[in-house]
Amino acid sequence: MNRRLILLTALAAAHLPLIAAQQDDQYVLGPDSQEKADVPKGEVIQMPAWKDSKIYPGTTRDWWIYVPAQYKKETPAAVMVFCDGAGFVKRDGQFRVPNVFDNLIAKGEMPVTIGIFIQPGTFPTSNPKEKARSNRSFEYDSLGDLHARFLLEEILPAVAKDYNLTTNPDERGICGNSSGGICAFTVAWERPNEFRKVISHIGSFTNIRGGHVYPALIRKTDKKPLRVFLQDGKNDLDNQFGNWPLANEDMAAALKFAGYDYQFVLGEGTHNGKHGAALLPDTLRWLWRK
Amino acid sequence: MKHLFLSLALLTSAAAQDTSLHEYLSDSEPWKEAASGYAFTDGLCVDEAGNLFFTDVKGGKGIYKLDAASGKVDLFLDNLPGISGLQIGPDGRFYACHNKEQRVIAITMKGEVEVLHSGVKCNDLVVSKAGNVYFTETPTQMIHLITKDKKHIVADQGHVAKPNGITISPDERTLVASEHGGKHVWAWHIEDDGTLTGGAPFMTMWLPVGKETASGDGATTESKGRYFVTSELGVQIFDPAGRLSGIIAKPVADGKVVSCEFAGKDHDLLFVAAGDKLFSRKLKVTGYFR
Repeated sequence: MNRRLILLTALAAAHLPLIAAQQDDQYVLGPDSQEKADVPKGEVIQMPAWKDSKIYPGTTRDWWIYVPAQYKKETPAAVMVFCDGAGFVKRDGQFRVPNVFDNLIAKGEMPVTIGIFIQPGTFPTSNPKEKARSNRSFEYDSLGDLHARFLLEEILPAVAKDYNLTTNPDERGICGNSSGGICAFTVAWERPNEFRKVISHIGSFTNIRGGHVYPALIRKTDKKPLRVFLQDGKNDLDNQFGNWPLANEDMAAALKFAGYDYQFVLGEGTHNGKHGAALLPDTLRWLWRK
Repeated sequence: MKHLFLSLALLTSAAAQDTSLHEYLSDSEPWKEAASGYAFTDGLCVDEAGNLFFTDVKGGKGIYKLDAASGKVDLFLDNLPGISGLQIGPDGRFYACHNKEQRVIAITMKGEVEVLHSGVKCNDLVVSKAGNVYFTETPTQMIHLITKDKKHIVADQGHVAKPNGITISPDERTLVASEHGGKHVWAWHIEDDGTLTGGAPFMTMWLPVGKETASGDGATTESKGRYFVTSELGVQIFDPAGRLSGIIAKPVADGKVVSCEFAGKDHDLLFVAAGDKLFSRKLKVTGYFR
């Protein structure tokens, strides 16, 4: 480690305490997140970039699908969508969803499920040196049915061209972190007859674009047939948009009040996916339990 | 080392987006009256030295200059009454929405006028470094473009509810326009030829209690890419992700703010046109336009 690197590391530690904070180090991946030689491996396929969205005109985005080894064309597969999919799809990444799916599907702890890992849109430019504007906050933090429609009208039909996907909403789930977490909830909230299983890690149920109203809405709206898993950390963000742990506690209290099938895990972490990733196998067992 | 640099870069950009307005306002730097005695100030723009130019759209004679060094106001160019939008272009000329004459003009510093387009109820404009002029026509719901080679194009029509204020991102790849008759600030991707694609209601303004419109008005850009948009509630600030990060209260609680621009020798004084007066407030951030 040269002197400059030491300085940079010290700067990072001094000014950016949220990154790799000690509270997060306790959360490590368990055996169900690892590749196992004796477990059948599903296939991860990178799809051609999605460039012709009608819902989000002008955007492009990367996406991947995971097809389990046990998938058979004759039997409709369950579906699980991952917002910010790039952070979930890698076998050696933070969440390692393909490994977790391989292991849990092989044990019969979740159904044969096709995973759809999709990135938020960006507005590409002709100059590769320019940073493309991200459409992520608009797509994920906004309330309303736009993102549900994007998935239902554009992405799911594209996958269904080649794969037999279930239309049973109880077998369709959606998962995300942070703004992707509130997005996952919003999709199921807007289309409970299409998606009924939700995982939100460090979900932004704060006032980025009005999402802080969900606890109030949940309390005053007919109960929807959703199963909702929420994770947050006591040391998560507190900023101009709101306080993440309080917002998630408020969500959990509202789901409890209205009689939802929900679970809330409040850990000690900061604003990252480590705790959610460590929990993911257990989370999926709970989410997909009969 | 490469990874460390990459992660530091990512963190830095994330942090820039996450700042709250409390970090760039000072309690000890309230609004101060900068000029008074006009009918209806508007059309704020700035030059490289930080001198502020403005108009008195309902009663004035032409373009006024507030000197960055002395703080004194002079009539800079006479015989140009009724300008509602003003900016200095890359060629060193003023570009103006000459609302009273229903024309868009370029004006040299000596007052020589070139008519760029006429027969339009132009309201406000922005000029890109490439020399493209974008202007709003509020009653017809149009965003117009006059390209650098003086070709006129209707760049957007029928989407924006009474388009009013207009500004551009620091990379000049995103154009934004505020709704006077709605609650959104729209954003478009700027193509290489200057045309607009991918328009969407990218930002949502906070509404006054009991109202359905925010009365969005003149807008400017801060050097890190935040958009400052005047509205009935005050100056609403959006980060580059399109998230409302705060609202700076109006200098006069029951008054208006209709135009804003950073000026002063360090470009850190936020000026607002507030009816018969101009006010300024020293911020810890600086303007993009120079």
